[in-house]
Amino acid sequence: MFSAAAPRRGSGLGFAMPAILLLAAFFVIPVVFLLTRSVTEPQLGLQNYATLVGSSTYAKVFFNTFFVAGVVTLVTVLIAFPVAWALAIMPARWSAVVFAIILLSMWTNLLARTYAWMVLLQQTGLINRMLKAVGLIDQPLQLTNNLVGVTIGMVYIMLPFMILPLMGVIKKIDPAILQAAALCGATRWQALTRVLVPLATPGIASGALMVFVMSLGYFVTPSLLGGTANMMLAELIAQQVQSLVNWGMGGAAAFLLLLVTLGLYAVQLRFLDRKEAA
Amino acid sequence: MTPFLHINGIRKTYGTVVATDHVELSIAEGEFMTFLGPSGSGKSTTLYILAGFQDPTAGDIKLRGQSILQTPSHKRNIGMVFQRYTLFPHLSVGENVAFPLRVRRMGQDEIAQKVKRALSLVRLDGFEDRMPAKMSGGQQQRVALARALVYDPPVLLMDEPLSALDKKLREEIQFEIRRIHQETGVTILYVTHDQEEALRLSDRIAIFNKGKIEQVGTGPELYANPATHFVADFIGDSAFLAGELAGVGQGRAGLRFADGSTVAAVPLHGLGVAGQAAELMLRPERIELTPEAGPEGASLPVTVEDLTFLGNNTTVSARTGWGAALTVRLNFGHPLAGRIARGDRLHIRWAPEAAHAFVKG
Repeated sequence: MFSAAAPRRGSGLGFAMPAILLLAAFFVIPVVFLLTRSVTEPQLGLQNYATLVGSSTYAKVFFNTFFVAGVVTLVTVLIAFPVAWALAIMPARWSAVVFAIILLSMWTNLLARTYAWMVLLQQTGLINRMLKAVGLIDQPLQLTNNLVGVTIGMVYIMLPFMILPLMGVIKKIDPAILQAAALCGATRWQALTRVLVPLATPGIASGALMVFVMSLGYFVTPSLLGGTANMMLAELIAQQVQSLVNWGMGGAAAFLLLLVTLGLYAVQLRFLDRKEAA
Repeated sequence: MTPFLHINGIRKTYGTVVATDHVELSIAEGEFMTFLGPSGSGKSTTLYILAGFQDPTAGDIKLRGQSILQTPSHKRNIGMVFQRYTLFPHLSVGENVAFPLRVRRMGQDEIAQKVKRALSLVRLDGFEDRMPAKMSGGQQQRVALARALVYDPPVLLMDEPLSALDKKLREEIQFEIRRIHQETGVTILYVTHDQEEALRLSDRIAIFNKGKIEQVGTGPELYANPATHFVADFIGDSAFLAGELAGVGQGRAGLRFADGSTVAAVPLHGLGVAGQAAELMLRPERIELTPEAGPEGASLPVTVEDLTFLGNNTTVSARTGWGAALTVRLNFGHPLAGRIARGDRLHIRWAPEAAHAFVKG
């Protein structure tokens, strides 16, 4: 209905040029260089990719990466959903406080937060000592230097990225719709699974994509909490480039990661398109 | 005999704010009862307590003699249509109507059959696959009605369901609601602030004001015999002439006005003694305008201030001897219409039962 007055798509492109040039200079060109090096070093060909896909060592790295990213995404959704729900229905004054706490954690240095988790999770750390004190365990649990520690540390870091989009969609849901569901006979669980979650799906999808993609390329937490035996993709890239100065392998791994990310993004775009068309 | 639905002394307070105060009402099975009142009068609060969205501070609600207050909303088996559009936006019309049956784990065939019947009841046959967003507001509220009736609830609550619709559509759906009420025999509790809507739909109307029910009765009862100034003011147009009581007896009173003119034998509402401030209420269509004074005690002299021709009637604005304003309607073709002008001195008269006196304070 606004089509008569709306400017034609693309007519404002001139104003966007500085931003487009910036993106090209600092994102597109480096990626092209990296791609080039991945197929030219040490010699021309796809041997770097063949090694990555073929070797069981690298296969384990890929498995670790996708497995951890998947578990982190799932756990993050499960924790973030009730938090976002609580924030959405809380009195505004309270939700502002809780929200500030969440943001504050985002602004705290990542390394500091990860080291804090190392202290908490180690064999003689607070968590193990508490569990022992209440008699739940006899021997300390192994919570660092493995994927459990990585998952815990990453869920904590990813939570805000899930809570924010979820809060956005949940806030838009009219509480009267849930009252209607209740009068229709839906238990709380049925109202959650049949009404609330479907309505929050766009927020869950965008939050999950963001968390999954960020988790795939995460470096600090896996390297500090995961130990050397549980390498993930970002660590592999760092190792190849920094320690082995093997730009070909590092570039190939980085490029594969980029492809996976773009693929996921394309899936989400199609999913959202279909939602809007419906 | 125990009433079908008994709202028993419901009181709801928020801190020091009293939302409803000892609301007491019995509703018969199959009755169409409307809660009419201005916003903040407690009518919606009462409905929400019935729905189980709020707990009363005191009082009880009994359905067929059983208290329902301990039953959570989803087990009350009550239907409700809301003011806002509350269809589930991710479900088709058919699935919206099927929702209450699915959560009750009914069989597939039975669900399909009931959904078809419910949609037919609201005249939306064949709309099963439509998405709510692709429907008009009126259609959405009809689907909401089908969804609220598909599980045969004993009571249907309606919270200003037509307030978001335009006037023409509103009248159309009012007609549909009446028909559905007659076809299904469901007991309906309907909340509105629109007196015309209340009069058009209801068997009985409960007039809410400041958290209390002022009067309960059929439309004609409330119109002909309002118990309070508020009811007289809320149902229909009326003129209120302020004066003081002059002689009270047998439920009737005389009134004296500022210029010394008096009226006699007016039905009195409220307790009062001679000399107390009171008001005379007159319905404009029951006042007759005449060139000569009427019978003593049921007539007052007035001066014509303005005339407005409105097609089926001419509305005459007039002022009494002491300067109070009132309006009189002359139907089209009335012998006086067209023969009177501004400044004319005339008289109003009325049948004794057409006037009411309300004690002030």
